[in-house]
Amino acid sequence: MSRRWTGTLVNALLVAGALTMVFPFLWTLSTSLTSGAGLSATPSLIPAEPSLEAYRTLFTSTPFARVILNSVGLAVAVTVIQVTTSATAAYAFARFEFPGRRVIFALYLATMMIPMQVLLVPLFEQMRDYGLIDSYLGVILPTMASAFGVFLLRQAMVTVPRELDEAATIDGAGHVRVFARIILPNVRPALATFSIFAFMSSWNAFLWPLVILRSEEMKTLPLALASLQGQFTTEWDVMMAGSIVSILPMLAIYIFAQKYIIQGVAGSGIK
Amino acid sequence: MTATAARTRLLPTATARGRQRRATATAYLFLAPSAIPLLLFVVYPMFRAAWTSLHEWNLLSEKSWVGLDNYADLVSDPETAAAFLHTLYYVLGVLPLTLVGGLALALGLHRAFRGRNLLRGVYFLPVVTSWIAVAIVWRWLLNPSVGIVNEALSWIGIDGPGWWTDPAWSMPSIILASAWKDLGYVMVLLLAGLQALPTDVQEAAMIDGAGWWRRLRSITLPLLTPALFFVVVITLINGFQVFDQVYAMTGGGPNGSSEVVVMRIYDMTFRYGEAGLASALSMVLFLVILLITLGQMRGERKWVNYV
Amino acid sequence: MRKRILSGIGSVAALSLALAACSSSTDGTEVSESATSDAMEPVTITYSNFISNGGNEENLQTIVDAFEAEYPYITVDVTTLPYADYFTVLQTDLAAGTTADVFDIEYATYPAYQPSGVFAPLDGVDTSAYRGDVAAAYATDGVQYALPTSFSTVVLFYNKDLFDAAGLDYPTSDWTWDDERAAAEALTDADAGVWGDYQPISYYEYYKALVQAGGQFLTDDGSAVAFNSPEGLAAAEWLVEKSGTVMPTAEQGAGTADFDTSLWADGKLGMWHTGIWMFGAADGSDFAWDIAVEPGDVQNASAVFSNAVAVSATSEHQDAAALFAEFLSASDTMVDVRLETGWELPAISDTATLSTYLDQGDPDNRQAVFDSLDGIALPPIIGDNQAQMQDIIGNELTEAAAGRITAEEALANAESKINDLLG
Repeated sequence: MSRRWTGTLVNALLVAGALTMVFPFLWTLSTSLTSGAGLSATPSLIPAEPSLEAYRTLFTSTPFARVILNSVGLAVAVTVIQVTTSATAAYAFARFEFPGRRVIFALYLATMMIPMQVLLVPLFEQMRDYGLIDSYLGVILPTMASAFGVFLLRQAMVTVPRELDEAATIDGAGHVRVFARIILPNVRPALATFSIFAFMSSWNAFLWPLVILRSEEMKTLPLALASLQGQFTTEWDVMMAGSIVSILPMLAIYIFAQKYIIQGVAGSGIK
Repeated sequence: MTATAARTRLLPTATARGRQRRATATAYLFLAPSAIPLLLFVVYPMFRAAWTSLHEWNLLSEKSWVGLDNYADLVSDPETAAAFLHTLYYVLGVLPLTLVGGLALALGLHRAFRGRNLLRGVYFLPVVTSWIAVAIVWRWLLNPSVGIVNEALSWIGIDGPGWWTDPAWSMPSIILASAWKDLGYVMVLLLAGLQALPTDVQEAAMIDGAGWWRRLRSITLPLLTPALFFVVVITLINGFQVFDQVYAMTGGGPNGSSEVVVMRIYDMTFRYGEAGLASALSMVLFLVILLITLGQMRGERKWVNYV
Repeated sequence: MRKRILSGIGSVAALSLALAACSSSTDGTEVSESATSDAMEPVTITYSNFISNGGNEENLQTIVDAFEAEYPYITVDVTTLPYADYFTVLQTDLAAGTTADVFDIEYATYPAYQPSGVFAPLDGVDTSAYRGDVAAAYATDGVQYALPTSFSTVVLFYNKDLFDAAGLDYPTSDWTWDDERAAAEALTDADAGVWGDYQPISYYEYYKALVQAGGQFLTDDGSAVAFNSPEGLAAAEWLVEKSGTVMPTAEQGAGTADFDTSLWADGKLGMWHTGIWMFGAADGSDFAWDIAVEPGDVQNASAVFSNAVAVSATSEHQDAAALFAEFLSASDTMVDVRLETGWELPAISDTATLSTYLDQGDPDNRQAVFDSLDGIALPPIIGDNQAQMQDIIGNELTEAAAGRITAEEALANAESKINDLLG
């Protein structure tokens, strides 16, 4: 077989595989448009009578609109905070010589080994002591800092030529100005990558919000989706509508920021 | 004379020290916004978890000291052992699927052709979606009576299994969904590995007339070991923390057949009110993750063939 | 039919609202008088419940509306959760201190929570309004900590049309397991998707079937389990052998919440073991149906569920919360709504009021509800590890029902696991 034909065959396989990857999304979409999709028959891929009924049910019988707002608000807040705290720390590690720098940096990295799952009970207890259960602050506090973000941004900052800060320092700029005017603009791609990651992980976060957000109107999308399962056990069209609604915003971001996301994963192994 | 000389020598040193002290203070100031949350919400709770693990506590009453009893209970508890086995089952199920699948995709999509980036994007798409949405979708795909998977199996004469309703199939259901979601992730990690490979060795081998399979086995794969090793470690670490998909697909059931470690921590704490025992299990889980990470550090030095 | 009753209640509620606006109070108790005469600060209390989930949400809202009309300064914010999630959420909320001001509990959970001090004492409540035995179940050392809202029993629902089509006699209170089994087999028509019987495979069904077979769950001193016996085996087999023969299997959807309700509503279920709280949801079907006391084996025994409401010890509005708890469990509005819609029975002492319950129609044989109280199977209670025990029984029986282990193995496994919890 000639090389050309092998190449075509491989490409055909890759396309077929890609279709298999997309299929669950398509079937989710079509189920969400099939009113009354339930327990009696397998809905077809192309709904005979497409209907938005499931979406109407979703938004009228659950506070889904509020839930979307919660998710957006929390994800934006967490992203802004994480980017700020990570960038300042990264600057310290990239541009300062101070006692204990190596040890402190190693300790930062070590915190990446402690997942939220391990801290579930003590954090819950701690937030209870502070009276922060069922509050947005309770969700945000444990995710304020990201060792991964510090690592990622530091790697970017050390590549910024020192001559740039030195020139600015001679012009009388202090550390804050150097940080804000020289360093940050020069690490924009890394900031973009990390922002998207912070947003994505907050948007999709489940275990900690599940424990700490108690009332219906405080819940985020993944939590509301999970409780749809209890509420609409056999109404698959409504559940699929909920899934579509929660996937769409991330999908939109992904389409615009695919390059940064894939580079971020490739460069760090974090998802 | 000598005094002035000493003063002129001393002065710059004193200001240098002062400048250094000021710089250190500034550095700590820049560190504070991240260091304080990390200390308060990662390091401190870690100690608190260790402390709680030595108590019996139902989250409602006072803690009562039981020493190492919780750890002894965990060792003799068959359900905790089962939870670790299920977690291992998960890791050993997902790893080969994503490793082989991801490698095939990475090799296929490393080649230059039109539409390559679009395909990469499609394979990566599930990675960015929320696990809960994906879990609900897969519960629907794998619905034993009206799901599309069993429907498709019936077209070719196969009577599909009970998937998440059957204890024998609940872990395979979760593994299948997880492999679908993580495939693109592994692909991207391996693509990054492939891009970092020196092209001259490949070209030399090609000129020598080595076939595709030969080049893969004796050149590409050995060179790719660091990336492959990294995928294995990261899959292990993530695998031991698996929770979201289990919670949303099976809730640990049927009959505890998919109860993984974190699900058990959650159930112990919030379903059965055994927070002390759950903390002990958290500490054990941390130890496992620590060991894997230490293994990675050793392994990177020892086994990985950097050539 | 159902619609008419509901709109009827709506107009009653509207009327009482209008009355409340003009006069001081509709039923003139001292509490409400003082409540309306003082200019009270407006308060909002929260109520978390499972009792209205699955068809009685509007009925609960009717009671809440009436309460808010009577106490205009109190607003009640209702959260309804599925029963399956309710107690995990409650446990978390109790631990977090974020419990609703008023929340549902049930007979079996009361002893597990009361010692932790999460219930506020309800001193001012007149407990003579309740059935004495039921009220006593929610009191500790002479202090009332929860108020019984309702009790209900599980009976045998049957689809008359399917029985007629199969030429079978309707179930009676004299039926035994053998009669039910024979009817179930005759009714099952796999090709038409019709199943003869549906009985959930759960802890709740098991302890009851055990009593029906003449066995007991715990030893007399409660120190160990006693169900691994010939009677226990008979009860286990009674439940698990239905699966896949006269009842759908888990793969076919059984065990998924609401699956049985849909099957019943579609007219594809001959007999259904479920609670009287399903009257509302079962009504409005386009086939004729009725109920009978559950068949027994050596004796009749019915499961009685008792639900109650408690006021959170951390509530900031305990007085308002207690008023609502009392209204929810003893007011005339509550009694009327429950009786008219057939939504469980109020646990009130004035049994004369309950007589109207019998004449509400659909199902006709409401007498069976009272008859079922003649033989009661009470749930075994072990305190702290209650939830674990219930899960163990449910899980092991589900395994046996799927044919992956035998009923003997299921009982032996459950015996050793539960004895561990007790020991």
